[in-house]
Amino acid sequence: MHESSVTRQIVQTVLQEAEKHGAKKVLEVNLVIGKLSLLGLEQVKFVYEIFVKGTIMEGSKLLIEERDVLVKCNSCGYEGQFSYGDVSGYQVPTVPIMTLQCPKCEGTVEIVEGRECLIKSLKLIGP
Amino acid sequence: MKEVVKAAEGEIYDLELSVDLLRENEKIAEKNRALLKEKGVKAIDIMGSIGTGKTSLIEKLIIELKGKYRIAAFKGDLTTTIDAEIIEKHGVQTVAINTGKECHLDANLVKKALNQLDLDNFDLLLIENVGNLICPAEFSLGSEKRIVVISVTEGPYMVVKHPFIFFNADVVAINKVDLAQAMEVDIGKLEADVKRINPQATVVATNCRSGKGIQSVIAALGL
Repeated sequence: MHESSVTRQIVQTVLQEAEKHGAKKVLEVNLVIGKLSLLGLEQVKFVYEIFVKGTIMEGSKLLIEERDVLVKCNSCGYEGQFSYGDVSGYQVPTVPIMTLQCPKCEGTVEIVEGRECLIKSLKLIGP
Repeated sequence: MKEVVKAAEGEIYDLELSVDLLRENEKIAEKNRALLKEKGVKAIDIMGSIGTGKTSLIEKLIIELKGKYRIAAFKGDLTTTIDAEIIEKHGVQTVAINTGKECHLDANLVKKALNQLDLDNFDLLLIENVGNLICPAEFSLGSEKRIVVISVTEGPYMVVKHPFIFFNADVVAINKVDLAQAMEVDIGKLEADVKRINPQATVVATNCRSGKGIQSVIAALGL
């Protein structure tokens, strides 16, 4: 829901950096967006095109890498994927539910990766 | 300041940035947290969808706690100061934060609002987030505790459909429990759903009209 403000921030940050480096044009922007971030990638791409219009970013390629979720258990040290528990007993088909419960023990996991919205790198044309 | 490497004219080159925009919010939130701690102000972030009873909970908390704490409130909304005025009627200094079209409060807006308060005069700050069960999850404000208010009138699947907001919740209030039967909502199931998503969250059943459960909320928030 806040894709437009976050994307505007992305564009502003890239423009600032490009200017700092005296770039003539931005060719490529590489983002990393975690699967647990609440940003919809389609919306990010859509508003990106609107915000870059009339700037040195116009026509640039936006490449988004989706990052998997990595969790760590504070009790048993488990490190790995998020686990999905079943929720049954509803009058709907059983749905998987995200849980912070450790898949190995009774502990609670911490989310280590998968929440980021990272501007990883840019491809620029020099001055 | 790192030395800036300039490319030759017209050369195409890569620039590593590694700027995490959500991390930037976290940094400001950390500063807010440090400032509040230094001033001895406990801050509570109150989240939940529209109409679950966030403002009613704040009113009840103020009534119960105004003898113990000097309370201030921040009230986030897209537009209007309706809720801010409701809170202010309880004699509490309230700063309305209008986000315009933004769907959540962020650390920077809270930082600006903090500048409007003389923090030496307060020791409890109640921050009501924008009514939304999705976006506030992504933005820490620098509060000490986070509470999510849900209610039975949202139906039985509210929790499982919105797991993200519960990841960072310390306390979850299930409000309007007096209407559970009429809504055919099983409170036990809602509670089990929350515990499934976040085993560490404390779940309290409340009725913010009558005051049921308010003392348990206060205890769960460590107030």
